[in-house]
Amino acid sequence: MGPDTIVLGVVGADCHAVGNKILERVFSDQGFRVVNLGVMVSQDEFIDAAIETNARAILVSSLYGQGELDCEGLRERCLERGLEDVILYVGGNLVIGKNDPALTEQKFRQMGYDRVFRPDSDLAEAARALHEDIRQRFHALPVA
Amino acid sequence: MPADTDTESQQPLQEFLAEREEVLRTWSTGAEVDLEEGIAYQLSIPPSRRFTRVLAEADREQRVLVQPRAGVALVDEHIALLRHLQGEADLLPTTIDAYTRQNQYAEAQKGIDRSLQAGRSVLNGFPAVNHGLRQCRRVVEAVNRPVQVRHGTPDARLLAEITLAAGFTSFEGGGISYNIPYAKKVPLERSIRDWQYVDRLVGLYEERGVRINREPFGPLTGSLVPPFISHTVGILEGLLALEQGVRCLTLGYGQLGNLVQDVAAVQSLRELAEEFFRLRGFEDFQLTTVFHQWMGGFPEDEPKAFAVISWGGAVSALSRATKVIVKTPHEASGIPTAEANLQGIKATRQIVSMLADQVFADESRLAAEVDLIKSEVRHLLKAVLDLGQGSVAEGAVRAFQAGVLDVPFAPSIHNAGKLMPIRDNQGAIRVLDPARVPLPADVADFHRERIQERARFEGRKPSYHMLIDDIYAVSKGRLVGRPR
Ligand code: B12
Repeated sequence: MGPDTIVLGVVGADCHAVGNKILERVFSDQGFRVVNLGVMVSQDEFIDAAIETNARAILVSSLYGQGELDCEGLRERCLERGLEDVILYVGGNLVIGKNDPALTEQKFRQMGYDRVFRPDSDLAEAARALHEDIRQRFHALPVA
Repeated sequence: MPADTDTESQQPLQEFLAEREEVLRTWSTGAEVDLEEGIAYQLSIPPSRRFTRVLAEADREQRVLVQPRAGVALVDEHIALLRHLQGEADLLPTTIDAYTRQNQYAEAQKGIDRSLQAGRSVLNGFPAVNHGLRQCRRVVEAVNRPVQVRHGTPDARLLAEITLAAGFTSFEGGGISYNIPYAKKVPLERSIRDWQYVDRLVGLYEERGVRINREPFGPLTGSLVPPFISHTVGILEGLLALEQGVRCLTLGYGQLGNLVQDVAAVQSLRELAEEFFRLRGFEDFQLTTVFHQWMGGFPEDEPKAFAVISWGGAVSALSRATKVIVKTPHEASGIPTAEANLQGIKATRQIVSMLADQVFADESRLAAEVDLIKSEVRHLLKAVLDLGQGSVAEGAVRAFQAGVLDVPFAPSIHNAGKLMPIRDNQGAIRVLDPARVPLPADVADFHRERIQERARFEGRKPSYHMLIDDIYAVSKGRLVGRPR
């Protein structure tokens, strides 16, 4: 079995590219096959790519503050389009302004994201969490 | 040789006017714009609220003007924000939201509606096109400082039409600097063309006695961009603007962090721009400079952010820039509150005033760095202009196609992204690999030697890891990304 495929990109009208380039590198180094859609990615582009590549997870970044608007509804859209199990991660400067990170996390968890990352997150740790989440959701065989 | 009015690069007036009609129809608020009425309104604005006037005075008196960034979704809230800042700021902004920057006015409308519901701004700026001319006029009339439109819009034709007629007296951006760092797929031909429209419009105001300031966006991606790249882009955009009739230009530079390199960059930017503008036949222009405090990742801890802000303020004063754009203690986290924004301005004003009577003293190192940047920019600009065979616009397009111009970390697919910058042992940005960007051979060697010096000091090879360490360094409390 080859490496797990993940789709990566920056959602909405957001042009912040630096973190995206680093995320591609780190997640590749950590053993994923990364399909990087770059910046300014629509929800449907994420989903198209995930379907096409049979991806286990979609990693959404939003830096520019309008993430609240752009990230809403992605989980529902995934379900609509038949992506029932896909893991959704989101990270960055997700809302406008300096806010309590716990509230932001809660808001995005409620939208259906499995994990929510702050800008200064340790990326190696995030990659480990993703391996573990994928193992649990897709590879954990029922005990016979 | 192009002269002060450049008919060759200008669209025939009739064609321009026909295009205007189309542009004004792209969103309903375009219908409010009437050029004659806009010119008459601009002529009624007192000098104290005109960008060109305030810049000219500061330039004469060698004073550094202080300007924030700021913009929220709703008009009354935006006015309150600018009023909160105007006591400490010399110049005011109106920062435009990211949907408007991509001409997504329906999305911007959703953002306005949601902001009304939520009782707070859910947009990262002021959606000027949706609010339209009359609401924009309320903004400029509510404050006692000149107001500039600050954005990041590849196609800013409608935004310019509305805001200039509304009374904004300065307009940031350019066909390269508002594409390569801000867009993914927009062809450079297209954005340069659309910015020629904006500059032509500014030129028409100029012809009628209304001087509008134009400011190419110097910092580009704000992420380890060597001065010779950003200077070359700024001078090209200056030339493109002059060709269309713009006469008041402010060229920009984003702080990199090494004192000598930063002071040299501002000095050389101004001198090189003068040199190339004249070389291309332009004599009549008003030129100033803007220094952006550190544009890369900030430390999250607010006292540390203040240190970065103050250092930027100090260098803006020592480099004798005409104005400084300030950051805020909230930079790493999110759009600042009015209070946090004001704090950044105050910290900057304090240091700028304290340094007003001092000059940078290390003359010989400064001169060497100025000479270096000048030789790099002359070499690169010549290559770009040669590619254009006389046309600045074509030269720029072909240069990006060929990787002759290459901006680090840019999102655009029309940018090669092969040039590799790294800090030297004292934190100046050098290039490990210029890729297809032409540098004189001795200069390329100098860059590599400076990076090797750091590599020896750190006991590791220069590599991608070193570059990534540099990207995170300031946010983690240093300038040079030392091994962890
Ligand atoms: C550099 C920069 C720019 C450059 C970007 C160049 C480019 N094309 O990339 C320029 C100058 C062009 C720019 C423009 C704008 N910017 Co800007 N920018 C920054 C800045 C200073 C640094 C960003 C950066 O590169 N950091 C370095 C990288 C390595 O870190 P990162 O981007 O945070 O990414 C990491 C983490 O977030 C995390 N992460 C991200 N996603 C995910 C996902 C997962 C799954 C995981 C595990 C982790 C993770 O991992 C990444 C790698 O370490 C930040 C502020 C700051 N951080 O100090 C503002 C900032 C992001 N910008 C901001 C804004 C608003 C804008 C603008 C809209 C202008 C404006 N209104 O002020 C425009 C963008 C227009 C558009 N269409 O998008 C705001 C966002 C505000 C908010 N959320 O409330 C910030 C926070 C500044 C501020 N405080 O106002 N910007």
